[in-house]
Amino acid sequence: MNIDPILLSVYARSFKSITDEMSISMQQTTRSPILCEAKDFVTGLYDGAGRMLEQTENLPILAFSLAPVCKHILGYFGDDIHPGDVIFHNDVFSLGNQNNDVAVFKPVFFEGALVAWTAVKGHQADIGGAVAGGYNPNATEVWQEALRIPPVKVYDKGKLRKDVWDLIFANIRFDIVQHDMKAEIGAATIGERRFVELLKKYGLESLEAHKLALFDATRRMMEAEIAKIPNGRYCGEGYVYYDGKNEGSRYTIRVDIDVADRHIKFDYSRTDAQTNGFVNGTYTSSASATILTLLQMVNPDIPHNEGMVQPIEIVIPQGTLLNAAYPKATTFGNHLCPPNADAIQRALAAVMPERVTAGWNNLLCSLTTGIDPRNNEKYVDIGFMGLKGGSGAMRGTDGYDHIGMIDASGGLLDQDYEMFEQQTPHRLIRHELLEDSAGPGEWRGGLGVETIFEIGADDTQLVTFGDGDFEPAFGLFGGADAGLNFIRLRYPDGREVTPRNKDLITGVPKGTIYHQVASGGGGYGDPKLRERGKLAEEVRDGVVSRQAARERYGFDVKDG
Amino acid sequence: MGLKIGIDVGGTFTDFIVKRNFEKPSLHKVLSTPSDPSIAVVQGLAEMAAAQQPRQDLAPFARSIDVIVHGTTVTTNATLTRTGAKSGLITTQGVRDALEMRRGVREQQYNNRYTNVKPLVPRYLRVGVTGRLDGNGRETEPLDLQGVRDAIDLFRREGVQAISICFMNAFANPAHESAAAELVRKELPGAYLTVSTQLLPSIRFYDRVSTTCLNSYVGPKLDHYLERLTGRLKEIGFGGVLLVMQSNGGVMTPSIARGKAALTLLSGPAGGPAAGLFFARAHGQNRCITTDMGGTSFEASMAIDTPALVNDGEIDRLRVALPMLGIHTIGAGGGSIGWIDQGGLLRMGPQSAGADPGPACYGKGGTLPTSTDANLVLGYLNAEFFAGGRMRLETDAARAAIEAHIARPLGMSVEQAAAGMYRVVCNNMAQGVREITIKRGADPREFPFIAAGGAGPLHSCLICIELEIPFQIVPREASVLCAMGMLLSDLRHDFVRTFVARMDNLDWARLGELIDAMSAEGDAQLAEERIAPEGRRHEVKLDCRYLKQYHEVSVAVPREMIARRDARAIADAFHTEHNRLYGYSLEAENPPVEIINVRVNSIGLTEKPQYTEETFAGEDSAHAIKGERNAYVPETTRFANVPVYDGSRLRHGNRLQGPAIIEEVTTSVFVSGSYDCVVDRYGSFALFQRGRDDLVGGTARNANTEAIA
Repeated sequence: MNIDPILLSVYARSFKSITDEMSISMQQTTRSPILCEAKDFVTGLYDGAGRMLEQTENLPILAFSLAPVCKHILGYFGDDIHPGDVIFHNDVFSLGNQNNDVAVFKPVFFEGALVAWTAVKGHQADIGGAVAGGYNPNATEVWQEALRIPPVKVYDKGKLRKDVWDLIFANIRFDIVQHDMKAEIGAATIGERRFVELLKKYGLESLEAHKLALFDATRRMMEAEIAKIPNGRYCGEGYVYYDGKNEGSRYTIRVDIDVADRHIKFDYSRTDAQTNGFVNGTYTSSASATILTLLQMVNPDIPHNEGMVQPIEIVIPQGTLLNAAYPKATTFGNHLCPPNADAIQRALAAVMPERVTAGWNNLLCSLTTGIDPRNNEKYVDIGFMGLKGGSGAMRGTDGYDHIGMIDASGGLLDQDYEMFEQQTPHRLIRHELLEDSAGPGEWRGGLGVETIFEIGADDTQLVTFGDGDFEPAFGLFGGADAGLNFIRLRYPDGREVTPRNKDLITGVPKGTIYHQVASGGGGYGDPKLRERGKLAEEVRDGVVSRQAARERYGFDVKDG
Repeated sequence: MGLKIGIDVGGTFTDFIVKRNFEKPSLHKVLSTPSDPSIAVVQGLAEMAAAQQPRQDLAPFARSIDVIVHGTTVTTNATLTRTGAKSGLITTQGVRDALEMRRGVREQQYNNRYTNVKPLVPRYLRVGVTGRLDGNGRETEPLDLQGVRDAIDLFRREGVQAISICFMNAFANPAHESAAAELVRKELPGAYLTVSTQLLPSIRFYDRVSTTCLNSYVGPKLDHYLERLTGRLKEIGFGGVLLVMQSNGGVMTPSIARGKAALTLLSGPAGGPAAGLFFARAHGQNRCITTDMGGTSFEASMAIDTPALVNDGEIDRLRVALPMLGIHTIGAGGGSIGWIDQGGLLRMGPQSAGADPGPACYGKGGTLPTSTDANLVLGYLNAEFFAGGRMRLETDAARAAIEAHIARPLGMSVEQAAAGMYRVVCNNMAQGVREITIKRGADPREFPFIAAGGAGPLHSCLICIELEIPFQIVPREASVLCAMGMLLSDLRHDFVRTFVARMDNLDWARLGELIDAMSAEGDAQLAEERIAPEGRRHEVKLDCRYLKQYHEVSVAVPREMIARRDARAIADAFHTEHNRLYGYSLEAENPPVEIINVRVNSIGLTEKPQYTEETFAGEDSAHAIKGERNAYVPETTRFANVPVYDGSRLRHGNRLQGPAIIEEVTTSVFVSGSYDCVVDRYGSFALFQRGRDDLVGGTARNANTEAIA
């Protein structure tokens, strides 16, 4: 069949419109804040063979979280796939990315044949396991973390399998999860409907032919980007500090990147072995981290379809930190993205100095829960505003202030301050950009933030998780490192407590001052070369101190 | 009764519509004068006076004008080009960076070269002072007045022209803001001052501080402009009422606009949705999608009963939390440039050739192929009759640009490439329309499609084919739709108070007091605007949500329902609205519902110009044919000779079959192969999918049938 280049553009835009529409539906119909507010979900469209046609991933870490599962499901059910089926999946040992990310897959049939899949995956508020919310720093095995859901039909030929449904939700704490899973099914159904409309308009033959042409076009875009990198092998490392069990432990992610013309291979074979705790990655979350880091180095307009990933090969042997073997615990896996990205940026810095960034601030996050004395009701606050540090600088562009970890890249927003004081008993004292937190450079890193609030309830529970308190975001090409993250508590009796970066603190009294720094990103290039006009403005604005201007940038600001 | 004039000052053109009751409106356009937009206003009025039959001098013409409604882009442009006032902010210590951080969003997540927007107030002019209120408005720390004085000294030294005051939790108690404001007024009487609780006393700190600073930033410019405009109008003898269009689709007097400049950020396009609805109503429809395609952008909005409003709008990535019309803009216009991406796919826009150099066919030095160039090659535009013959288009230049940049790289003919450009730009607009409708839980196929703007009616058929919309309306006023809508707008003032409360445990007396206070404020403003009590309406809305949801839904609640203390009925109204917007409600689960904000919209009804219906002039349209042209028909993907009609000779009841072209002075309509057209009773072109005559309301044919029945 002849390829109509115009129709090709129309298909590309239409696919995007379908996954966007599914995404809007999710945002409007889900109830858990991590879905409707933090938008921790992805919607996608795959062909009959499970190849990605288009995706709308609201957080970049979900860039590659559905396609591998789609292919797995095809193999699992074989010819037992029928119109009206709805399949659930979360199992990290069959290509799931994270236990809490539960996917819905819906096959799309046209004229009797399986022609496509629509899929939605979102982070659910609970997924069973030992601890509500799925975050269990003491876990050593998957069963302590979550209910495993290998591919399972919850609808069979359009009929709800009530027994299966009830079995699943009997193992999940909150009713809200049932509702949010229905929202996922709804969004997948919307995608199915719109895809069938498209088929009716243009016919299957046209779609099949143009789909392949679209993959080719996208693959060529990606190949052209890879071809800009000189052939060779490039190696880099990133570090993970503390596994939640062994004080002082440190693990290394090692990537060997082989570029051969239009092909790029990321090989993690030399990465450290898995841990005995929950600081372990899954293949899918680690591969997503790799892809999102690469995507930030290429033309941001490249469509997200099979063609985008064809020139990319990712090898992560089982049993390593980034791909734990059955039945290891893996809840921390997504948060291995920042050190993985560090390893890639370091590896490629020498050969694509105009595309890499210096190090991004790593995530260090906290969650406070307790009883609000004003109404005696339970509250939960995920400290979004406190966790967002700066991004790394790149040649020609300063880092982005207060953007947050690279796996979200500005997709996760602060709570509003006044809503925070309505919904928690806490009182905000400070949430501001932190002076001198950015790594100096000709282009400076993004600034970090300082957050201080007074805890307003006795017996508050604090969970911390993350990193960035041992090693700062690194500078590149003469640019300097940024500062360190920390979370500190000052109790009313004057006692200071510094939680570890993966910790659970209970019994925090009312009146405790919570103090957190999410520091900046690394700088790029010699700080002495930074444009003086910009520096003068930054000193005037109080984001660079006079002392730092003098000592780190070699710039003496005159008074007045 | 005298004249009513709508004036829409745009970036390139200033549009006028003049309406005398029961007479056909007349349209006029002059080039805008960006350095002082009031010059073009007066020039246009002078030209219109001269065009009267018999010719009039400006002074008597100006005296005969009762009302001028005015839409301005002064504040929009000041924001987009960052040419507003040097501004300072006094805020609570510890949160001065909220304005700059914008909650930490980066809109393009994969683009590391995408930088944050420059804040409207630089950090050194954002001053935090101590003093604190809690979430219930109780003072936990007194305001440091010396800190305020220090800030004022800094502002004086730095030559700050506009000052904003926004404190934490002030929505619950304005006392600290008022005290600080008093000092500022005393110490710096010449500065433009915005106090957050006077502009927007509602919860959400970032929304409030951003809106407050925007108001200060654009305030002095608008103030200055309105002063000049009223001065010039007075000079020429105008003694009527001048009204300014607001972003919410209502109008206000200049004295109110001066203090609340941020209300005009969407002033220009805000007339469109009301005008669209007016034309839809002629066909018995109370809903529509209004679109406007100009030189650089395509604007779309949806109306069901009234134009849709949003409370979380943005301009240039800056939050504006005042209610504004939900108008969605995408970069698709006549000047949108076609290009081939790295993967070999054809793209259109968002880069635009603008007015200068403009499309290649303008012959002003543009060499890149634009949407207008494609329209010319496709035969939709008449090279000799562009802008009513005021400008000649160069077909060779258009062909050369398309050949070099699109046709050759894609290995196709110039005609094929032009058709491709046309199709891609229409597809982009169709997806934009799909988004605004589905986001609000609506199906675009169920709406009449209003096509406006100079370039809109050439593209509307293919957009509608894409969306399966069977019915379109192209008003005669398509090229000045926003100006026309301004004449149909009422005075409107929106008030809000934050009132966090659970529906099952409500302080009804307090709720009633808040509503009464806001209504009284509305009454006072409307009285100032000379609206008699019987012409005033106060609509109450409650922003509700299920307990601990993150977003609220604004629900209209009759005052009587609150007087009756009918929590049940209010909750039901909320469930219904939630279901309409999001496709579900939790009525069955019945979780607690909480109120976050109370709103009152005070409306002062204005006298609307009366439109007469044209008399039925028969179905035959042959008299209006002025020739034929070879034009591209998307349904067959081929060129064909299609009749060209002189729009000015088409009358009510005249019918014609697509494919056809209708030429008007300021716009052209392409009736595609699967659509037919009939002129409706207001003279609009009603385009319907062949065989769907039933969608056309109020035409003589249908009216006659009704009469016979």
